[in-house]
Amino acid sequence: MSAHTHVEGGLPHEPEKATLEGRNKVLGFWLFLGGETVLFGTLFAAFLALRDQVLDGPTPDHLFDLKLVAAATAILLTSSLTSVFAIQAMHQHKVKALINWLIVTVVLGACFLGLEIYEFYHYVHEGHGFTTSAFSSSFYTLVGFHGAHVLFGILWITLLIIQLARKGLTVVTAPKTYVAGMYWHFIDVVWVFIFTVVYLMGKVV
Amino acid sequence: MAHAHAHGHAVKRYSGIMDWLTTVDHKKIGILYLIAGGFFFLVGGLEAILIRVQLWKPQNDFVGADTYNELLTMHGTTMIFLAAMPLLFALMNAVVPLQIGARDVAFPFVNSLGFWTFLFGGLLLNVSWIIGDVPDAGWTSYAPLAGTTYSDDHGMDYYVLGLQIAGIGTLIGGINFLVTIINMRAPGMTFMRMPLFTWTAFITSALILFAFPALTVGLAALMFDRLFDANFFDPAAGGNAVLWEHIFWIFGHPEVYILILPAFGVISEVISTFSRKRLFGYSSMVFATILIGFLGFMVWAHHMFTAGLGPVANALFSIATMLIAVPTGIKIFNWLFTMWGGSIKFTAANLFAVGFIPTFVMGGVTGVMLAAAPADFQYHDSYFVVAHFHYVIVGGLILGIFAGLHYWWPKMFGRTLNEGLGKLTFWTFFIGFHLTFFVQHFLGLMGMPRRIWQYLDGMGFNEMNMISTIGAFLMGFGTIFFIINVVVTAVKPKNAANDPWEDGRTLEWTIPSPPPEYNFAQTPLVRGYDAYWKEKMDGHSGMTPAEPIGPIHMPSPSILPFFMGLGFFIAGFGFMYAPDWGHFLGTDLTNGHALGIFGLAIVLICMLLRSVIDDHGFHIEEEEILKDLGGKA
Amino acid sequence: MASNHSATEQNTKRHKVEGPKKHIVAFIFSILLTFIAFATVISGEINKDFIYIILVGTAILQVFVQMAFWMHMKDRGHTFALIGILSGVFVVFTAVIMAEYWVWW
Repeated sequence: MSAHTHVEGGLPHEPEKATLEGRNKVLGFWLFLGGETVLFGTLFAAFLALRDQVLDGPTPDHLFDLKLVAAATAILLTSSLTSVFAIQAMHQHKVKALINWLIVTVVLGACFLGLEIYEFYHYVHEGHGFTTSAFSSSFYTLVGFHGAHVLFGILWITLLIIQLARKGLTVVTAPKTYVAGMYWHFIDVVWVFIFTVVYLMGKVV
Repeated sequence: MAHAHAHGHAVKRYSGIMDWLTTVDHKKIGILYLIAGGFFFLVGGLEAILIRVQLWKPQNDFVGADTYNELLTMHGTTMIFLAAMPLLFALMNAVVPLQIGARDVAFPFVNSLGFWTFLFGGLLLNVSWIIGDVPDAGWTSYAPLAGTTYSDDHGMDYYVLGLQIAGIGTLIGGINFLVTIINMRAPGMTFMRMPLFTWTAFITSALILFAFPALTVGLAALMFDRLFDANFFDPAAGGNAVLWEHIFWIFGHPEVYILILPAFGVISEVISTFSRKRLFGYSSMVFATILIGFLGFMVWAHHMFTAGLGPVANALFSIATMLIAVPTGIKIFNWLFTMWGGSIKFTAANLFAVGFIPTFVMGGVTGVMLAAAPADFQYHDSYFVVAHFHYVIVGGLILGIFAGLHYWWPKMFGRTLNEGLGKLTFWTFFIGFHLTFFVQHFLGLMGMPRRIWQYLDGMGFNEMNMISTIGAFLMGFGTIFFIINVVVTAVKPKNAANDPWEDGRTLEWTIPSPPPEYNFAQTPLVRGYDAYWKEKMDGHSGMTPAEPIGPIHMPSPSILPFFMGLGFFIAGFGFMYAPDWGHFLGTDLTNGHALGIFGLAIVLICMLLRSVIDDHGFHIEEEEILKDLGGKA
Repeated sequence: MASNHSATEQNTKRHKVEGPKKHIVAFIFSILLTFIAFATVISGEINKDFIYIILVGTAILQVFVQMAFWMHMKDRGHTFALIGILSGVFVVFTAVIMAEYWVWW
């Protein structure tokens, strides 16, 4: 299709939008994020409905450690910024800088995930297991879905780093990278609501 | 660069069964949806017949109470998710890209993936019949009935996992159509020039995108409750059963508009074509479609009037529900005014479309009756409700699908269905339908509850149930006549003209039947609404091309979507039986979990391969296109 | 195709390379909002409803900043992206109302 006409003369400023395939991918991913919004929104709704059903388990204000949450938040927020820098490097066609920023993003993502695993482990030992109460089930489901998204993002961006290193920046790899960046921001945005609704509101007695 | 590459790549073009397993061509995927949806329609239809046989006389014991519960659950689930939706996707795949002048959909690979995940999800659900643990908590699967306390066999696991997998397929199919319609329209095809079927496909896809994730969460929560002892819907551990109802209907109500909107689109196309008139009030039709889609998200609790939400919520949802009658009424009048003064041809397709109008109005009127919350306390869970939703779904959606199939069959297969048999199908099905469901209104008002296995003699239910069963058989005959028609047509020569109805108004009728792989040899230039009709009225024989003839880039076929569907199927099966199958080689891991992880690994490996291996596609060269053009002209 | 042309024009027109400055500003702004949210909760002893308002307000503001700058939503050609996200938010809004008012009574 007409997608290939202006590819020959080097990469354009925004290589992710150079082909029709690329533009389709970006738009499709935006719409997918619209669906993800509903997915997380419904999980939030379930959590909000069940968050007072603690039964014999520890209460949220007892359980949550805000220092840990603050650290996790800082890490994820920073990783969102580094992924912005990655996309900026891509727009300037600096492949090396792009790859380096993506590596930083992945490392920060892994740190976040490590903290979350430690946190869950800690909670289980406090008597807050998945099956303890309706509160605990909905908590682990919501935060766990987010964690699974982080894990998938780490694997995905790692794969992209390998591909960028081997294939370079092309009109094929650029949209993939751009879309992965969008995904990573979205994860960060969801986390903003998680630390607000789950942790901070849980601390308000 | 990609350009140069693509010419160099010789892509394998499969034939026979491999062609169908690997195809990314939207027209072939449409046919696959038709076959799969048609198969599940027959399965669901058979279940319906068995239900009606059980109810034909008082205290019948043709099937046991447990089997009856399984039949009614699987009938509803199969018809909604595995028959109606794929049949709509069949028409959308076959027609939407052609109507907007596109050579392909936005994501051909994803399109194929959507089909295969839907199919394997549907198969997983129906494997339950073979295993013998069948879902039996109704298609709505209300908690706590659907929880392990009351459904302790694997039946509900099939429901949860089968629907989850089929739902993934539907969701990505919806995204594909949204992007296709937004990005792939031919030059001049503005939004307000799009055929109404494309508009309804667009809005339906949007509803899919925003409704299905809620189902995903609901099913995931129910799955966690069932498989991992979570407490979402278990009151004993602080859960709440009403929460399931809410989540289910936040998805479920938009779902019924997902079903009916494309049928509205089909009816608009068919009536306009066979009245030889422009669709009356096109822009109000578009507006009404959008409004119905929007309101569809604000009415879910009208399914829960008797749950005890209180007068404020009931009043709000009552009013919102009644509001939907306004845009729907606009549509009904627009169809009538389209026919008014037109030179109407009553082809089989048009019979279905015209039959749709009064039938759907009846379903709509009972809908408004049910929307009145105080009255609903009387109708709730009675056969009145059964009559209502069959009037809108069968009388609306299925008549619409039949209309669409008779109308677009020549475009899909190059052969026109036999008109006589088509009309026979219509009359048998139509009369059978009204016999089956009209009397159910009165059964409901007389107090017959839905989902009961037997009723006593002397309640006054006998005659009407007998009539209803006779009607169901007539609908069965109607379906059989349609299948005979398909078979008879399949052996006829493939000679349908580009514009077999001679009054085609939209772009799909400007190209051969069936269209070549690349649809349009040259992308057409669209100069107005009803693009082809406009050219006809201006005395042109065809569309003005928007580009010279040149090589056309096509995506490569791929077997990965098939294996991803299979991977999901294996994973679902494994996780379901994890507690039952013992341990894996003496480790902590159960055999079921090992199988489940293996299935998911297949999916992830396929995703990895898809990401790593660039799809350069291939080109159809100028000579081949010219040859096609010469051969047909 | 209709959409192709506009996008191609966009590519050639806006060729100025954007600097990291505004993204760092957005980052600082996000950190600040997060800090306000945490500080409000930790300081405690304020009216509960008031805390909730501050928490929800800072979260929405932060997400707004991030989506506008980091996800380029304020740029041209994001009409359908905006429609998609806002429609999702609308459904979420109804779901949250449901969870807060119509589950327990």
